[in-house]
Amino acid sequence: MNGRIGRRLAGILASAGLLLGGVACGSDDGGGSDPIKIGASIPLTGQFSQEGTAAKQGYEVWAATVNENGGLLGRQVELVIKDDASNQNTVVADYNALISKDKVDLLIGTYSSLLNLPASAVAEKNNMLYIEPAGGAPEIFERGMKYLFFSQQATADKQGKAFADWISTLPEADRPKTAAYPTIDDPFVSPNVEGIRSVLEGAGITTVFAETYQSDLNNFDTLVSKVREANPDLVVHGAFFDDGVGFVRSMLKANFKPRWLYQTTAPSLGEEYAKAIGPENTEGIIFAISHAPQAQTPGNAEFVKKYEEMFGGLPPEDAADAYGAAQVLQAAVEAVGDVKDQAAMADWLRQNTVPTILGDLKWDEAGRPQGEFLTGQWQDGKVEYILPKQFATTDHVVMGWQPGSV
Amino acid sequence: MLALLQYLVLGLLVGGIYALAASGLTLVFGVMRIINIAHGAFLILGAFLAFTAWSKLGIDPMLAILLIAPISFSLGWVIYKTAIAPVRTAPMASTVLLTFGLALVVEATMGVIWGNNATSMTPSYGSESFSAGSFYVPKAQVYGGLVAVAVLAVLGLILTRTWLGRAIRAAANNPTGAELVGIRVGSVSAVVFGLGMAAACTGGAIVGVLYSFVPGTHYMWIARLLAIVVLGGLGSLNGAILGAVLFGLAETLTSAYVSTAWATAFPYLIVFAVLLLRPQGLLGVRRREDASAL
Repeated sequence: MNGRIGRRLAGILASAGLLLGGVACGSDDGGGSDPIKIGASIPLTGQFSQEGTAAKQGYEVWAATVNENGGLLGRQVELVIKDDASNQNTVVADYNALISKDKVDLLIGTYSSLLNLPASAVAEKNNMLYIEPAGGAPEIFERGMKYLFFSQQATADKQGKAFADWISTLPEADRPKTAAYPTIDDPFVSPNVEGIRSVLEGAGITTVFAETYQSDLNNFDTLVSKVREANPDLVVHGAFFDDGVGFVRSMLKANFKPRWLYQTTAPSLGEEYAKAIGPENTEGIIFAISHAPQAQTPGNAEFVKKYEEMFGGLPPEDAADAYGAAQVLQAAVEAVGDVKDQAAMADWLRQNTVPTILGDLKWDEAGRPQGEFLTGQWQDGKVEYILPKQFATTDHVVMGWQPGSV
Repeated sequence: MLALLQYLVLGLLVGGIYALAASGLTLVFGVMRIINIAHGAFLILGAFLAFTAWSKLGIDPMLAILLIAPISFSLGWVIYKTAIAPVRTAPMASTVLLTFGLALVVEATMGVIWGNNATSMTPSYGSESFSAGSFYVPKAQVYGGLVAVAVLAVLGLILTRTWLGRAIRAAANNPTGAELVGIRVGSVSAVVFGLGMAAACTGGAIVGVLYSFVPGTHYMWIARLLAIVVLGGLGSLNGAILGAVLFGLAETLTSAYVSTAWATAFPYLIVFAVLLLRPQGLLGVRRREDASAL
C-alpha cells in the first residue's frame, strides 16, 4: 500500500519536475517577455543584518522603480534574494545556487568586504558581472578579476582621506596632537582606519593607542578604559553598527569625552544610530559616507521619494549604495543590449563613466572606483555633509564631539 | 593599581550577569540531562520582551523582570510539555538537535515580531556611572549585577529551603529513586524547564540594557554560556556562578593586560586547560555513568 502511494507520489513529483524544468528551460533561452532574474545573497540576519536589510531595501526600490518605468530592456525585473546570515560559507553556497539552481540572468553583490570577497570569486568563476554595493577592502581588487566592480566612490583605504586631510590642517588650537585607533578586525574596516592613520601620522599626530578586537566582542568597557588611559585628543573608531554603538555607550559610562570622535559605518545609519546612543550624544561625531539624500545626483530625488513611499523615512546609506549598484548594472545591461554577454558589460564599464545617485562613477582595470567620499557630521540631531566643499550642505562644522549637548 | 581595581570590578559585574544567564542552563542539565541549545535564544527573547515593556509601556527594563519572569516561566512550562517531554529520555544527541531546532524557531519568531535590526534599550542610567576620580562603576552594570544576585538568591532559596527544591535535587541526583518516593519527575522537570527559561529571560532583560542585540545574537551567547557551565561543572548551580565570574574576569583581564584581540578567545583556553585537569569541571561531580562511558 505504502509502496504504491510512494510510487504514485514519485510519478506526480517527476511530472511536476518535468513541467517546471520545461518552464525553466523556456526562460533560459532568454528573452521574450520573461522577467530578468537578478540574484543576490544578503546578510538579513547575523552580524550585518542592519546593513544587509537596508541593502535589500535599496535593491527593492530600484526594482520597483525600473518596473514602473517599463522594465530593463523592456522586460520586468525579478529579484531573487537569499539570506546568507552574515556567513562566508553560506554566501558562497547561495551564489552557487543562484547560478545553478535559480538560473538567474544577472548577479548583484552582497554587503561587506567579508562576504563580497568569497561571493565575487563565485561570480568570476562563472563569468558573471558582479557589481558590489559594499566591499571596499583593497585586497578584493588584487586578485586579477575581470567581472568585479565596486559601486561606491572609493576603496576602504581612501574613504577617510578627506577627513584626515581636513583635520590635520586645522589651526593648532583645534588640531589633535594625539590619536587612538580601536578597530574591529575586518578586511573593510582595518584598511579604512589604516588609511586615516597614515595621513595623520604623516601630519605629526601621535598614535597613543592602536588595537584590534574580534567581531564577537560585545563588552566594550575594558577597551574604553584602556583608550581613556591613553588620553587621546582624537578617537578614530573602526566599527560596524553594533560595536560602534557599544563603544560609544561605554565611552559615555566611563565619562570619556575626547575632543574629536570619528567612527566608520555606524553613524551613517541615521536614526537607528541616534536612537541607540541617544540623539543628545551624537553632536559633532564625524564619519565618511557615500550618499547624501539632498544631493542633486541623477535619480536621487526619485530614489529618496520612492524609498520613503515603500519603507518610510530617509534612506540609510546602505540602501542608497545598493540602489547605486543596481544603477550601474542597469547602465551596463542597457549599453550592451542583452543580459548574456557579461564580458562585454564588464568591458563597457571599464571604459565609461556611469551617473548614479552617488555621483558619477568610473573604475580602473581592477574595478576600483576612482572618486572621493563625502564626510558627514551629526549636527543638531541630524546629518550634515561638510566635505568635499562642492557637496557640503553646510559651512558650519561643530568643532569636536559634544555629547549631551543637543 | 587603581586600573587593576577598575578592571576587577568590571569583570566581577559582568561575571555576575553571566552567572544569572547560565544558571538556567545548568539547572536544566542537572535535572534532565538535556543540553538546552535554545537557552541563548531564550536569553535574547527576554531582551526583546524587556524592550517591548520599556518602549511600549514605559516600564524600566530591570523592573520589567517582575513581568517577564512569570511569563517566561509559563512559556517554558508549555514548551517543555509540548516539545521536550516526549524526548526527555531520548539519547542526548536527539535532545541537542531538538533544542537547536527550537533555537532556530525562536530566532525566526523574534525576527518576524521585532525585525532583524539591532535593538538597544537606553534608560537614563544606561550611560551613567558612579565615579570617584578616574575610578568608575557603570550604573547599569551595578543594577544588573544586583538584580542577578537577587534572582540567584531566590533560586538558591527555592532549591535549598523548599519542598520543590528538595524534589528538584532528588530528581537530579537519582530520578528512579525520586519516583519511588512519590516525586513526579516529569512534573518537576516541567517546573525546572520553566525556571530555566525564566532565569534566561531575566538575564536577557539585563543583557539588553548593557548591549545591543538582534535575534541572531543567541549563537554568541550559547557558546559563552556552555563554556561557563562546562567550566563550573554541568549541573552545578554554584559551579555555574563560579565559572561565570571566572569567565567575566578572564575576558576583562585579557582585554586589559594581554590584548583586546584575545578577549573573547582566551577564556576558552582557560576552559580547555581546566577540563584537561578536571574533566567534570570545577564543582562538577563525576557520576558513575560518566565513568562507565569512558
